[in-house]
Amino acid sequence: MVRVPGVFDAERVAVVGATEREGSVGAAVMENLIEDFDGEVRPVNPSVDQVFGLSCVDDVEETNADLAVVVVPPKAAIEVLESAGDAGIENLVVITAGFSEVGSEGVAREAELREIAESNGLNVVGPNCLGVVSTPSGLNATFSPRNALPGRMSFMSQSGALVTAILAWAGDRGLGFKDIVSLGNKAVLDEADFVETWGDDPDTDVVLGYLEGIDDGTGFVETAREVTRETPVVVLKSGRTEAGARAASSHTGAIAGSEAAYEAGLEKAGVIRADSTEELFDFGAMLSGGDLPEADGVAVVTNAGGPGVIATDAIGDADLELATFADETRERLRDALPSTASVHNPVDVIGDAPAERFDAALDAVLSDPDVGAAAVIACPTAVLSFDRLAETIAGLKERESVPLAVCLMGGSAVEAPSETLSAVGTPTYFDPTRAIRSLDALRQYRSIRNRTYEPPETFDVDRGTARSILERVETQDDNRLGIEAMDLLDAYGIETPDGAVVDSPGAARALAERIGGDVVMKIVSPDILHKTDIGGVEVGVSIGDVEDTYETLVSRARRYQPDARLLGVQVQELIDPEAGVETIVGMNRDPQFGPLLLFGLGGVFVEVLEDTTVRIAPVSEPEAADMLTDIDSTPLLRGARGREPVDEAGIVETIQRLSQLVTDFPAIVELDINPLVATADGVVAVDIRLTVDPETL
Amino acid sequence: MTLLVTSLEESTGKTAVALALGTAAQARDERVSYMKPKGTRLQSAVGKTLDEDPMLAREVLDLDAAMHEMEPIVYSPTFVQEAIRGREDPDALREQIKDSFESVSADADRTILEGGGSLTTGGIVELTDVDLAELLDATVVLVAGFEDPGDVDEVLAAADLLGDRLGGVLFNDVPDAAFDTLASDVVPFLEGRGIRVYGTVPRDEDLAGVTVGELAEEIGADLLTDGVSTDGRIRQFVVGAMSAEEALGQLRRIRDSALITGGDRTDVQTAALEASGIECLLLTGGLRPPETVLGRAAAADVPVLSVRTDTATTLDRTDAVMNTGKTRDGTTVERMGRLLEDYADVDALLGGR
Repeated sequence: MVRVPGVFDAERVAVVGATEREGSVGAAVMENLIEDFDGEVRPVNPSVDQVFGLSCVDDVEETNADLAVVVVPPKAAIEVLESAGDAGIENLVVITAGFSEVGSEGVAREAELREIAESNGLNVVGPNCLGVVSTPSGLNATFSPRNALPGRMSFMSQSGALVTAILAWAGDRGLGFKDIVSLGNKAVLDEADFVETWGDDPDTDVVLGYLEGIDDGTGFVETAREVTRETPVVVLKSGRTEAGARAASSHTGAIAGSEAAYEAGLEKAGVIRADSTEELFDFGAMLSGGDLPEADGVAVVTNAGGPGVIATDAIGDADLELATFADETRERLRDALPSTASVHNPVDVIGDAPAERFDAALDAVLSDPDVGAAAVIACPTAVLSFDRLAETIAGLKERESVPLAVCLMGGSAVEAPSETLSAVGTPTYFDPTRAIRSLDALRQYRSIRNRTYEPPETFDVDRGTARSILERVETQDDNRLGIEAMDLLDAYGIETPDGAVVDSPGAARALAERIGGDVVMKIVSPDILHKTDIGGVEVGVSIGDVEDTYETLVSRARRYQPDARLLGVQVQELIDPEAGVETIVGMNRDPQFGPLLLFGLGGVFVEVLEDTTVRIAPVSEPEAADMLTDIDSTPLLRGARGREPVDEAGIVETIQRLSQLVTDFPAIVELDINPLVATADGVVAVDIRLTVDPETL
Repeated sequence: MTLLVTSLEESTGKTAVALALGTAAQARDERVSYMKPKGTRLQSAVGKTLDEDPMLAREVLDLDAAMHEMEPIVYSPTFVQEAIRGREDPDALREQIKDSFESVSADADRTILEGGGSLTTGGIVELTDVDLAELLDATVVLVAGFEDPGDVDEVLAAADLLGDRLGGVLFNDVPDAAFDTLASDVVPFLEGRGIRVYGTVPRDEDLAGVTVGELAEEIGADLLTDGVSTDGRIRQFVVGAMSAEEALGQLRRIRDSALITGGDRTDVQTAALEASGIECLLLTGGLRPPETVLGRAAAADVPVLSVRTDTATTLDRTDAVMNTGKTRDGTTVERMGRLLEDYADVDALLGGR
């Protein structure tokens, strides 16, 4: 069982590889610990007696540390882990590099490290990392030149260099942290472990992360989904673009997973995504304020028309709304403001406004029921004191729980007032767009908290038949199955065209007559895999031609493969795609997040319009239903241009049944039902293509 | 007694059959010699271009004849060009082959001759395998593949060309689906036309394709992963020029494949490590991938090879490896020996009639 808190709550820290040698990691870690750490520091180095005046021991076993920081070379680091295991030291931070990031030899070494950790129940951070920080005890077990300010955000990073950069940058802006961890190679502890730890930590208000890849996406989703009910998690996931993904795979060797999978995975996990480091900390600072908006409406109060318009655009771009004030609010504004001021949103308190006028305007708008949050945008004027404005807003914060974002659009004069506001948990910005996006992060988190999770429905299916259909792939040269695997859908209760396999021309005709109208006829043989290639499929056969077509199909098959076992001919109802809407329901198994379900406009439109949406399976009924409204073409399903609305419930159930199928069989690595024709009367799967990994069957 | 093993087309298992027959004859206490009059599977050694098959024959059959006698003519592109310009004298070449043959077969009870390329290779200098059988008084074993009954036309045409020299036909590398038709319909048909069928050898997965180690040796690739097995078998090559998004889907659909991609396409490389059918990464352009990727490959037990050539050139070379013979070592010969025991009449093959 992982008990990560020990890493941050350490009271006695051993530094294995401690030294005074200038420029060395061992010296930097020692200096950082000696400078700020409230607990005990024990240097470990068999070659010296003392390090920075502290007496040294030869082996980590001789310390009674509860955390060991390891900076010795990789081979020795493995031995340290063994000693620590023997001595009952459960928490280790392995800063040492030279593991999986250096090729085959390193991979073997990292596997050894993992094995020792697992068999001794050790919590290991790294290897190949910068270290850890925890501000309550002043623990700075890193070789970063700066320590963190205390705060309520906890931050993990897959880049050690970014941690040093953030420490320097955040320090200058007064941004504080509870804990920081550089994840390194994530050999033992990974992002999910820290999300879980900080989710349980009463002193962490918000979890921030910089990630390049999530190895165990499924586990991460499961953990984060629980945590984000109580604690917001914001992640900057790099490698979003093709080139970025390539750079990330080169940096960490992680598979360049599909952006769609990350998007869907993080969304399912309730994680908020930031697009830049600045935004990561903007969102973090805003979310650690604690208050969430009760409505989507935003009030903008400004002394500058232009920036007010910029803010209004940003509100439009986000999922927020420009609040519409009640009559009473407008009345109060009229009373408080000069006649030339605008009492509509955005509220322009005009250029000659002192801080008090902002106060009066805010007082009026914050009690409006449509206002969930407010943005204050101030440009410097001769009559406006930023210091006074900051004090006014700080006072307001004590009375009001409505979230505020403040733009102080000036130069160095904003530094002191920004600190005043930061102290009361109100972040400040220059750019109104940043302020609005931060407020939107609050709205996102409110909707994440309000989510209800329903378990996926379980349908009565025929797993045995499905398995035997998938096993057909074992006798082939490649991993693909096509229309001959339609019975897989039948086994999972997904509607396929009416029809049956018959073994004589007469029976074919009788069946075609029962079905009525033109039919599709296909040769059925377990030995003929690609029926279309040998002319084994005929579409649109009229009743009169059914018997002849039967003979033609059989003779073509005989000619092509004389020893093939012929089971007969499948006679199938002809589905006219024009009669309904062609949709696609599919799945692509992501190496990190597992089965990624896809729904969208199907047929020939798939590639041109790319109007599709994805979710991680298994999906519940509401999640599946959500997919239908997520595409741009939803109106087509609901009867655009006088057509009858299609059977949406039928599509939703098909998505759920497919979700169950791909969850039951991890060997299915991709599957497309295209088209799934949806009409007012129901849905029917007309064609299928899938890839089965025989090694997973 | 002299046997000439020839085939209708390249890559039908001629070398394996020839050497397996040589081994079988040795097991019957015969003194065996080997000769490949026209060298076609060329490998450049320092200063001299040689065929690999005689080299393998020396090893497998433990022979000490000089290479230039085991392979008197190097049927290289340069040779062909010179012959077309009239600078090679067919009569002199015939003499040269005859002299070498006499020298190689002097102390042997049996000489196994291996044809070059296909039955008709060598027509430019009047030295097709038909001509050679006549020249060296050899009985011909015709190795043929079989996919469908239409292939019989080729066998009949070859039989016509060879006339009395033809000892019989050996069908090799027959896919499962075609096996029954061949045995129950085609063999009786040929025998009805007076053509002997020595046997029908089924396709054997162990003999198909090349191992990663063999591939590396053939194309001179560097192995970048340590401690990862190179015994995996490759039957096809796939070029990783697609986007990372598409890579995984496409690579998962295939089996027993090597991925050819640029050393800098880390996105495609890491995707390939997730596809169970990719046995090996073959990286081009001499670009070494980051160690992190090599580490992942080692963890996934997928060997990584590197070549300096670009992707297009590399593909040409790998295609050449797949399309010219595949017998690379004694194990293949041993395996063929067992297949012949099981599926062919070895006594008749060695008896020549």
